[in-house]
Amino acid sequence: MELFLQRLFDGLSQGSVYSLIALGLVIIYRGTGHLNFAQGEMALFCTYVVYQCGEWGLPIGISLIIGMGVGFALGAVTEVTLIRPVAKKSQFAVFIVTLGLFQFLNWLDGAIWKDQPLPNSGVGSNQTSFPSLFPNKPTDFVNVFGAAIKLQSIGVFLLVLVLFGLLYLLFNYTKLGLAMNAVASNAESAKLVGIRTNMVLMVSWGLAAAIGALGGVVFAGINSNVNLGLMFTVFIYASAAATLGGFDSPGGAVLGGLIIGVIENMAAGYADEWVGQELKVGVALVVILVVLLVKPSGLFGTAKVERV
Amino acid sequence: MTLLRTSGLRAGYGPVTVLHDLELEVNEGEIVVILGANGAGKTTTMRAISGTIPRQGTVELKGADITKLSPDNIVRQGVAQVPQGRGTFPELSVEDNLRAGAITRRDGTSKINADMERWYQQFPRLAERRGQRAGSLSGGEQQMLAIARALMSRPSLLLCDEPSLGLAPLITQELFAVIERLNKEEGLSVLLVEQNANLAMHMASRVYLLETGRIVAQGSAAELSADDSIRKAYLGF
Repeated sequence: MELFLQRLFDGLSQGSVYSLIALGLVIIYRGTGHLNFAQGEMALFCTYVVYQCGEWGLPIGISLIIGMGVGFALGAVTEVTLIRPVAKKSQFAVFIVTLGLFQFLNWLDGAIWKDQPLPNSGVGSNQTSFPSLFPNKPTDFVNVFGAAIKLQSIGVFLLVLVLFGLLYLLFNYTKLGLAMNAVASNAESAKLVGIRTNMVLMVSWGLAAAIGALGGVVFAGINSNVNLGLMFTVFIYASAAATLGGFDSPGGAVLGGLIIGVIENMAAGYADEWVGQELKVGVALVVILVVLLVKPSGLFGTAKVERV
Repeated sequence: MTLLRTSGLRAGYGPVTVLHDLELEVNEGEIVVILGANGAGKTTTMRAISGTIPRQGTVELKGADITKLSPDNIVRQGVAQVPQGRGTFPELSVEDNLRAGAITRRDGTSKINADMERWYQQFPRLAERRGQRAGSLSGGEQQMLAIARALMSRPSLLLCDEPSLGLAPLITQELFAVIERLNKEEGLSVLLVEQNANLAMHMASRVYLLETGRIVAQGSAAELSADDSIRKAYLGF
């Protein structure tokens, strides 16, 4: 029982990171139907920025705001300069561009911060570990039915719930949310009711990248360091989460992320002999396959139905 | 007074020019109908006016040149378009469709809500379905929703792109009756393109005939239906 609860909470906090990256994927997909392959790497760049701010002595709260701000700008600029010009050509062109951006950002991170886990006393980092948003000393845990649950796990989980609540308000009760929904539903008609669709797309990309930045920082905090490979598997899990929840449903992305996180941890823990730590990425692949075969629109996605 | 005037309007898609020097006028309070067969350039005319395709020549609204404006700014100037076919937001509720129609307005929620109630009264079937997703409505209901949505922006000119398309004749009649009533009671000016000549000419103040991107005849409905060749080609009797 203790082990189960522990794995459950570890899974939820791990899954929260997937949720955050998946949320970014979904926000962009809803607006344009594009899958942003660089979502994880955009987040990683911002995570490095947060590390750098920490090196300069800024508290993690301020660093996070700067990192998310950089994320917003990065996303918005990417949409305007890279995506918009090729989006007119084809979906495939956008796919290639985001793939290129994925490579470029990882190369850029390497060029600036070198291929090593940071912070690193060997290169003179001032920080001992990547700053966590929540208490994460070995003594920071609560006892739940005998299981030691890290405060950090609980904090991360709550953070995702709060963020989801904010997004829910955005999509359902604001003009910007209405405009985003309208563009997602029918971009041509959105123009005809006077929505500035270009602006909406730019803001969507910015928002997605800012949320991704939050995900990267949370994950680096759990992981205690940031390195060039940090987001590779996260991105794969996040894609699985978005597929599971439905690519056009923010709520689905959150739930999908949490479910994948839990499944991953349970599979690695309980089916140790044949899944274990090495094969657990395979869990994501299995989930993607099963969802696509059984319910292609995902748990909460809208199946495209049209009355004729 | 002239509300809309186009002069030398040319537009098309890529290398293909569809409209050739179109001269059109809509006066305030008029219902102007553009008749044309398939491929005559009816939808292109609508798109050229609403700015959703590149155009040359000039489009003037109340004397002001709107040729250079983007589609969203043309809506802000008071031109609302009901797109061809099902131009609603299918995943959004009926109510959210109407809210989206009012997205350019800055006069406060209470006035927008009041307008919404007003159009619910005009289109009772939309009121019954206000929480439903627009995609689940019938073709006629969606067309009414598209019109109500366009009216939510309080336009001075309503552009209707072939509202009868895909609708049963009775539904079309009902729809045209609504447009006529809005014109009479609210003084709404309308520019409407149609192939369905019989129904549309009924309510038209003036009619243009469009053939392969050129205006080939114009006049009142009575004048045009008196012309033998036109009557045979468009009215079928």
